[in-house]
Amino acid sequence: MTLKLVVRRSTEIAEGIREIVMTRPDDGPLPAHPPGSHVVVDCGPQRNAYSLTNCGIDPGAYTVAVLRRPTADGGSGGSEQMHRFQPGDRVALSPPRSAFPPVSTARRHLLIAGGIGITPLLSHARNAVRWGADVRLLYVHRPGAGAYADELSELLGERAQRVTEKSEFSVLLRQALVSQPMGTHLYVCGPAALMDRVLQEAAAAGWPPQRLHLERFTPAELDPGQPFTASLGRSRRQVSVPAGTSLLEALENAGVEVPNMCRQGVCGECRVPVLAGRPLHRDEFLSEDERVAGDSVMCCVSRSETETLEVDL
Amino acid sequence: MGLQHTSVPRWPTADPGVDRTGRAYAVMSFGPDAAPLAAGWGRELHALGRTVWSWHGEAATDEAVAELRRQVEYATVGWRLMLAGPQCDVLRAHAEALRGGVLEAEITVLVTDAVRTRVWCAHCGATTLADAALGEVTGCSGCGRSLYVYHHVSRRTATHLGFMADAEELQ
Amino acid sequence: MTTAAARRSAALSSRIAGFPFPFRADTYRYSTNVEPARVPVATEAGGWGGGILDIDGEYAAELAERERILAADPTRLTVLPHMRPACWDALRTLLRELAAQHPDMMELRRDGDELVWRNELLGIEQRFRDGDDDTLPGGPLGFLGSQIQDDIVLLDQREGSLWADAGLVTFAADWSLHFDVGMRFLEVHGPVPRVHEEGVISRAERFLMRLQPGQEYRRTNWTMSVDRRLDQSTEVYPLWGRDRRLIAEAPADELAERLQLRVEVQHLIRLGASGAVLFLIRTYLLSLAELAQVPAWRTRFGRVLAELPDDMAEYKGLTRFRRAAADWLLPDS
Repeated sequence: MTLKLVVRRSTEIAEGIREIVMTRPDDGPLPAHPPGSHVVVDCGPQRNAYSLTNCGIDPGAYTVAVLRRPTADGGSGGSEQMHRFQPGDRVALSPPRSAFPPVSTARRHLLIAGGIGITPLLSHARNAVRWGADVRLLYVHRPGAGAYADELSELLGERAQRVTEKSEFSVLLRQALVSQPMGTHLYVCGPAALMDRVLQEAAAAGWPPQRLHLERFTPAELDPGQPFTASLGRSRRQVSVPAGTSLLEALENAGVEVPNMCRQGVCGECRVPVLAGRPLHRDEFLSEDERVAGDSVMCCVSRSETETLEVDL
Repeated sequence: MGLQHTSVPRWPTADPGVDRTGRAYAVMSFGPDAAPLAAGWGRELHALGRTVWSWHGEAATDEAVAELRRQVEYATVGWRLMLAGPQCDVLRAHAEALRGGVLEAEITVLVTDAVRTRVWCAHCGATTLADAALGEVTGCSGCGRSLYVYHHVSRRTATHLGFMADAEELQ
Repeated sequence: MTTAAARRSAALSSRIAGFPFPFRADTYRYSTNVEPARVPVATEAGGWGGGILDIDGEYAAELAERERILAADPTRLTVLPHMRPACWDALRTLLRELAAQHPDMMELRRDGDELVWRNELLGIEQRFRDGDDDTLPGGPLGFLGSQIQDDIVLLDQREGSLWADAGLVTFAADWSLHFDVGMRFLEVHGPVPRVHEEGVISRAERFLMRLQPGQEYRRTNWTMSVDRRLDQSTEVYPLWGRDRRLIAEAPADELAERLQLRVEVQHLIRLGASGAVLFLIRTYLLSLAELAQVPAWRTRFGRVLAELPDDMAEYKGLTRFRRAAADWLLPDS
């Protein structure tokens, strides 16, 4: 499913950072989402993931903040396209996906942001304030590039600490890691080096991994995979399975009926016996032993490692 | 994989060893069998240079649980809890720690025996400390019904589920 | 449907026509039988499943029954404190769903910083402030339970597990919400035989944990009970337990009238704002006598009962009467 939205506003909110507000063409309601969610936006030839800064309850608009990373600096070009969007432009994006939500039982939420990594944590901060949760923020950024600095200080007051000096950040981080009440969860988003460092120092201070949460963008969907041919042993037919089409869909298109239910690799209904070839398992159903045996495949999500997969159909 | 997935805790009955990843520790032990084990943990942690708070008593009484609650309130992340004793006492202290925001990953448990059971009566809501094991029948201290001690355990309330053993035989 | 079938369908009561007959074969085993929600299912007698919430002829009676049960035992509504946002999320989501399904009778509108809920089927209009528990009778979950027939459980996701941390369950089939609250998904299902060895529960949990905001699935489950007693919770087992024994000794006509196939249509929905998994359990009862009006159901259910392994029959509480029920359903075998 793809959302087709309209850019309503694009504003430079800090050096090299634009905030882009998108709504439905009719300004109707958008799907709600947990704090820390992201959308995958079609920006030119790229698809980039961006965190939503909304807290996610009944959103009328989706807001992202994008740091421009020129291709010359190793950027993919997607952020440059995002910066070119003008009010009125159409934009296609995935529905929100949640991979960085707050822990509801946390006694305190300790948010640590580096640079543009503030975006999902702004969403967290808004949610915590809405529900009266205990929240603290440590935000480090380059001078002049402190997106949402005013808003955060209004939202969190003394509970937000913002620094531009790395040495100052180091001191505050070290203090924070040894002084949080039991039940605190830590959330970090920022450059990889910063995240690694926070995780390392936290572990050294005795934080178990279950209390540490970092934003990492996961592929929005299963990847389309390589094309292959399904050879039907019983009917002696060849069915080609293009990239982006599941084996189940290809079989259905060829008029071969396979019992199925969830079409997500979970229920086990669409299991098909394999006679030859090596399946590429992507399901949740088969056990490790069954995967290794390689004599059946869940055709709704799994594919083939070999060019041809012979199945007992 | 069956049994490990039921709600009945299958905690170690042999020393699982000290979790060295913590910064500060609380060691609580119940009953005579647990005392030397807990003392061993304490010595090892001191040798590692960690802060240790130790408590030993006969059972996880209301006072013991209140003391643990205070420790959790003052603790900062990096703290670990180590528990040793009969399952019903360990389970109760474990529940109190969870309530305070401690994660299972921060608690080390050693069970010395499972002779007694805290049974929650589904019919009157009373909790009975009973000398009864799983699958046995015990009297409810609240309503007097004979309760079947079911293989279903709440870590939140530290109780086994008990329900009327002879409900289908009533005339 | 053929014209003969259509005539037969019209003659059956709406209860039979809308009954979600759950068996796809003559044998039954546990499986992770999830499928997308909102897909209509045609049955031999009619159909079900076009929407999430099903308001049927039992609406008023079942809501009154829930109110009575809750008044007698308020623990049937249990919410751990961290689940407040999820409860509000469930309320907003399902009131909107009701309004979308019954736009002539129900409406949720915003009025300043208040929301106004109108339900003409119940003749009520309720104003409340989103997120303010004190503005709704029973709080968000209690109020929701006064508008829909389904039982409600909310699952929180953390530490790599789902946790059943809130619920309003008045029509439980042989379990206790109050005891189970706060358990991991795997622990809630601890006592169920076979499912752990076969990986059914852990697979279901992995599936639920991967649901994205707004995704909706459903499954069915079944058991049997005596009479149209919706509240078969562990709490009141002393009230209904002995019927399991007495019904097996009853004359055939009485057995067929009183013994019910009890089917749960369970919806599994990833809520948007809170990220909680909403688990709805809608219970349908149909007596063997009613069921037998659909010959295909009669035969199939008879065969399922006759074949069911002993441990599954024991867990479902069918041991005492399932032979008698199967014999009644399959008189020729």
